[in-house]
Amino acid sequence: MKKVALPRAGGRAMQESLTGYLFIAPQMVGFLVFVLGPIIAVFIFSLQSRNLLTGVATFHGVGNYLRMFTKDPLFNTTIANSLVFSLGVVPLNLVLALSLALGLSGRRTGTVTYRVIVFAPVVTSAVAWAVVWRFLLQGQQGIVNHLLALLDIHGPNWLREPSWAMVSVIFTRVLKNVGMNVVIFLAAITNLPREQMEAARVDGAGAPTVLFRIKLPLLAPSILMVMILTVIGSLNVFDTIMLMTGGGPENGTMVLVYYIYYNAFQFFDTGYASALAVVLFLVVLILTFLQWQMRRVVSYYES
Amino acid sequence: MKKWTLSILVLALLAFPLFAGGQKEQAASAGNGPVTLTFTDWSGFKGHVDLLNSIAQAYAQQHSNVSVNYVTIPFGDYVSKLTLELAGSNPPDAGWLVETSAPTFVDAGVLANLTQAVQKYNFADFSKPAMKLWEKSDQVYGIPFSTSPFVILYNKDLFKKAGIGDPVELAQKGQWTWADFRQIAKTIKEKTGVFAYEGPDGEGYGARVWYTLVPIIRAYGGNAWSATGACGMASPEAVQAVQLFHDMIFTDKSVVPPGDLSDFYAGNAAMTMGQISRVGKLQDASFAWGLAPLPTGPAGRADVIGQAAVVAFNAGKHAAIASDFVAFMTNEENVTKMSEYFPPARLSVMNSAAFLKANPLIPPEIMQSVVVAAMKDGTVAPYNANFPKIDLVSRAEFDKLWTPNADVKQVLTGLCTKIAPLLKQ
Repeated sequence: MKKVALPRAGGRAMQESLTGYLFIAPQMVGFLVFVLGPIIAVFIFSLQSRNLLTGVATFHGVGNYLRMFTKDPLFNTTIANSLVFSLGVVPLNLVLALSLALGLSGRRTGTVTYRVIVFAPVVTSAVAWAVVWRFLLQGQQGIVNHLLALLDIHGPNWLREPSWAMVSVIFTRVLKNVGMNVVIFLAAITNLPREQMEAARVDGAGAPTVLFRIKLPLLAPSILMVMILTVIGSLNVFDTIMLMTGGGPENGTMVLVYYIYYNAFQFFDTGYASALAVVLFLVVLILTFLQWQMRRVVSYYES
Repeated sequence: MKKWTLSILVLALLAFPLFAGGQKEQAASAGNGPVTLTFTDWSGFKGHVDLLNSIAQAYAQQHSNVSVNYVTIPFGDYVSKLTLELAGSNPPDAGWLVETSAPTFVDAGVLANLTQAVQKYNFADFSKPAMKLWEKSDQVYGIPFSTSPFVILYNKDLFKKAGIGDPVELAQKGQWTWADFRQIAKTIKEKTGVFAYEGPDGEGYGARVWYTLVPIIRAYGGNAWSATGACGMASPEAVQAVQLFHDMIFTDKSVVPPGDLSDFYAGNAAMTMGQISRVGKLQDASFAWGLAPLPTGPAGRADVIGQAAVVAFNAGKHAAIASDFVAFMTNEENVTKMSEYFPPARLSVMNSAAFLKANPLIPPEIMQSVVVAAMKDGTVAPYNANFPKIDLVSRAEFDKLWTPNADVKQVLTGLCTKIAPLLKQ
């Protein structure tokens, strides 16, 4: 690259820089005060032994982390549950969202209605969603089990058996959020270049080949982005768990954020909760970084 | 230039958490300047609000510079929100506190010492068992304003349909034991097809599991844990009691099972356990209802009372005035006013005719035979400074009970093993 002589500081350039900074200042101040500041605070709190009620805070070094990894069996359960939840939500969400988007991308009659139906759960209140599903998933009186009985299947007591409870929260979570991903994929599909697909059809490719060899690779950047967002969202789940299972039964749906909430606001142990939050932050950061590195592999047309 | 801005930004950020530690302002109460006390409660119910306002107005007549601002925080979040407000820059001055939080708050030293303030009136009028949770080393930290026993609310129409007599009469004849209760529940389910019993507030397997099981355990002579912290949940009495309840759910199928949302207040269960404050929900009920005592057991009566107290907070800016207001709120006159909704801890009011007539929905003879009798006999639910942790661990263990083939003895033994270390702390 040729070295270009920059204009001297002062005068026009300085004014332009200043205007730029002023424009972003409100956002940056908000970010620093409400996001970056508390994150740094949490890092510091995680090295302390703090009680939310008494306000006492003493330096504790890595005590919280040692406790987490050696003396807290519930922590291991929590991490396992969080990973199981993510592994359940992400593939299901992506496959469902992609299928729905591909299905809804045509111009057939009724598509608009279907799009509304698919997106409606996204704008529904999370509390209302959870309450209604709790009614639907009742063991004896729930409609879900009534419908299964019609097919001669004896449905379990969904929210009261540890493994089925996890399946239930995964399922209701996916149904709630899939609409958002469908919308993103729809936009991406609409923007797919037509030439490749027409060329492929002219060359005699059938629909499956067009789908798997052309459409999906072209959609790869969107899929990657949606995957990153869905992974982050699934690791941060709280409302679904709190409203539907309260972490149970038998801690079968106790996930990391709910455990953090419990430690901070039920046990008032904000030092330990901060340490847990730091661990969550690092897990999400590493996963996001790994996924971001994948873009080199999957993005065919980015330089 | 860029390096400098970056370093200054980072330094500014590092300074931020130092202020996040929370500096409590220790402003002394301004002598006679206008003072507004912030008082937190968990009820937005109009009757309660009017009652509290009238007490504030009466206080203002004697202390013209003091006004009270009532802040309502929903019960489910009450403790966490209150804790956050106390840690913040505008802490409340006084408020309600439920008995399950009493040991934690008293031990944390966040409650103002009310011993001085209560000297103003006849403090001995407060029943000793009621004061137990709110005193430490002979110092008073809270004054109970509600000592509300758990009773059985029952659907008279369903009882009639099943051909069962009135529970209050059965209790007087000594035919209202837990064994009788089980039989009656079975009959109701068979004859009406409706579930006979729902755990308190529908949370019998969740937040209210202790209130569901402890009355039965106590009626059989056991207890959750002793005062010295020895776990009693695996004793033969406790196992027998829990086995009875387990069999009612899974063998008789007369109890609303886990995960089922059938509700007494909607008429989908014949009985439930609750306090008299729940009676407000039945004002427009589509069925006739009544109150009955808790069933007895081999060890006799076993009443459980829930409590709530008024406390003042050290973090508040006007701790002294707040303490005085708390004492005012709990004097004899105001306790009588409050007894319409809140069963009093003051013996003089408890025994008065006014209290028996206080609630328009409950006949005086029921207040006497069911409510007052339970208040006099009852003890609070099991408490411990470590209760939140014990509850979390226990909940996971109790979950193992709610399957048809659960080995009750094994589960309860496992429960005791898990909570024993927490009880001793």
